[in-house]
Amino acid sequence: MDILLQVLANGLMLGGLFAIVSVGLTLIFGIVKVVNFAHGEFLMLGMYGTYLVTSALGLHPFVAVIAVVPVLFILGALTQRLLIQPLMASGDDHIQIFATVGLSTALINLALLVFGADIANTPPHGLRAPVEIGPVRVLTGQIVIFLAAIALVVGLQAFLARTQTGRAIRAVAQNRAAAELMGIDVKRIYALTFGIGAACVGVAAVLVAPLYPTSPNSGTYFVLTAFVVVVLGGLGSIGGAFAGSLLIGLIDSVAGFYVGSDMREIAVFGVFLLILILRPSGLFGSRLKLAHVSP
Amino acid sequence: MRKSVVAASVAAVVLGLAAGAARADVKFGALYPFSGQLALLGEESARGLELAVEEINAAGGVQGEKVVLVRGDAVDNNQAIGEARRLISLERVVALFGTYSSARSIAASQVAELAGVPYFELGAVADEVTGRGLKFLYRTNPTAEDMAKLAVEMIVNKVAGGLGKKPEELKIGIIHEDSNYGTSVAGHQKKYAAAAKLNVVTSQAYPASTVDMSSLVLDLKRRGVDIVMQTSYQNDSVLFLQQANEAGFKPGAIIGGGGGYSMQPTADAVGHGVIEGVLDTDFTQFLVNTKYTPGIEGFVEAYKKKYNGNPRSGHSLNNYVGAKLILQELNKTKGFTPDTITKAMKNLDVKAGTTAVGYGFKFGTNNQNERAAMMGMQWQNGKLVTVYPDEAAVSPMQFRK
Repeated sequence: MDILLQVLANGLMLGGLFAIVSVGLTLIFGIVKVVNFAHGEFLMLGMYGTYLVTSALGLHPFVAVIAVVPVLFILGALTQRLLIQPLMASGDDHIQIFATVGLSTALINLALLVFGADIANTPPHGLRAPVEIGPVRVLTGQIVIFLAAIALVVGLQAFLARTQTGRAIRAVAQNRAAAELMGIDVKRIYALTFGIGAACVGVAAVLVAPLYPTSPNSGTYFVLTAFVVVVLGGLGSIGGAFAGSLLIGLIDSVAGFYVGSDMREIAVFGVFLLILILRPSGLFGSRLKLAHVSP
Repeated sequence: MRKSVVAASVAAVVLGLAAGAARADVKFGALYPFSGQLALLGEESARGLELAVEEINAAGGVQGEKVVLVRGDAVDNNQAIGEARRLISLERVVALFGTYSSARSIAASQVAELAGVPYFELGAVADEVTGRGLKFLYRTNPTAEDMAKLAVEMIVNKVAGGLGKKPEELKIGIIHEDSNYGTSVAGHQKKYAAAAKLNVVTSQAYPASTVDMSSLVLDLKRRGVDIVMQTSYQNDSVLFLQQANEAGFKPGAIIGGGGGYSMQPTADAVGHGVIEGVLDTDFTQFLVNTKYTPGIEGFVEAYKKKYNGNPRSGHSLNNYVGAKLILQELNKTKGFTPDTITKAMKNLDVKAGTTAVGYGFKFGTNNQNERAAMMGMQWQNGKLVTVYPDEAAVSPMQFRK
């Protein structure tokens, strides 16, 4: 019984990790309708940023949030403005995908050039310390990630629902042409949304860096699952992505222990395929709105 | 007037060509991943080759000719093939050195085989490199099989005694990343463990890009595994050691296989206290009995001088020794045709304990160096020291009390 609880706890913590990484991705997909394949590399850059701030200044890694989040916001907004926006005019969505894949490869190799292929270790400052909750043992840093993921999801939902800008963002997502007619600056909203999505992954990077070694490939380790989670939760549904993350985390952990670690991915992707067959729009997704594509 | 200028310049050009021909550098290819994900150890491997070439050239070159290395960047398998083609047909290299990565080696050596150009593998460990019966491919370094063999040997000869148990009483867990590398080493571990009548209670694969190994750790803990053998890269080595520690899983011994386990950043990432006592099977490393590895100090000196830092792994050393012995052997023959090179390689015969890597050199079946062997290391006080075999050890193997 204790072991089962530990397995479930591990699964939830893993789910929290997937959630915090994929929130930004799902936001960008839901609003800008661009699949950002460079998302993992944004995470990787954020992790290096955290590493630099922490090891150079000797500060607690969480302090790095002050630097990393704004930098990633700007990086995201610039990506949208300089890379994606010009391609949107071409009318072919596939080109944007190729562009983000290109950006991803470029960023990995840039990191290789600047930081080398070796791993960088952000000092954990006590975040690796285990916490015992009843029979279950998890890391302090994992709990922080889990809580931060919830806060980020709730915060983003409130921002989208309550604020003027949030409403404008949703309007653009629903119908770009109509939003433009209502006087919304669509290009600005896109850049803003992309920036917010990147900033979210900046938050994730700061929290993840003390727990995982950083290397130029770090992003690729997380991002495949993040895509699964985003599709599973329903494209663009932030709450759905969170639920999808927990589900994937639990399946991964339970299958890894009771079935065998070589079967983990089979279990995860098996469930993923099953859900896609039964509910093509994901767990919580409504039908994908592609109003901006049709004239 | 004009005529004489033309004549003079023609003469100059001809003379220049003639002078070039007289100096006639002999070109060898250096095919490694210099960029991309494998760049770190690719570059490290190439440094060993470069040092060997410098040393050979300083001593008068090969057959009186200066050895020139032409680099090819094997960033992925396709490019490895493309670069091998370029080196062979455009640069006209007489032989290729490489490759660190087994996959790149397997791809590129096929090109060399078809072109009939000798290919010297100095660092890739997969069985298939020499397992394909290629005629022009030679491998100087120990293989995945050697790695598994040594790990099992260590358990039987040292670890069991150190833990105060008989080898067959120990519960052994094999975990490995699920690509070709981990799978083949683990396969050999199972084979040798069975031959030694060891009790392997579980064998599990996982993807190297995993971000969580907690369920695997729990499973090993539940089974009461005494010895874990892991074949892994860096990310998963760090993850396993950290998560095992955090879950309170303390097996009698952890034996890592190469890659991540031999690197200082891994120890720094995991924490020196946590990695203390962890064993590792890999190429010869630097904290080793220098009586068994004559020349290793000179290599480290030369390395420091050229690259302003300590060698980052044993890859450079293995590439250095392999390349140096091959070039020395070529110096004893005449000409650089594929035939003379392959004939010369038949004569290569170097005993163990006389090279900077410790192991000896003699090409056997499939042109694999049948004297190649790995060594056993242990993390002691934040340093990777050689503990096995005895003649190479600098410190006794230690066990958790």
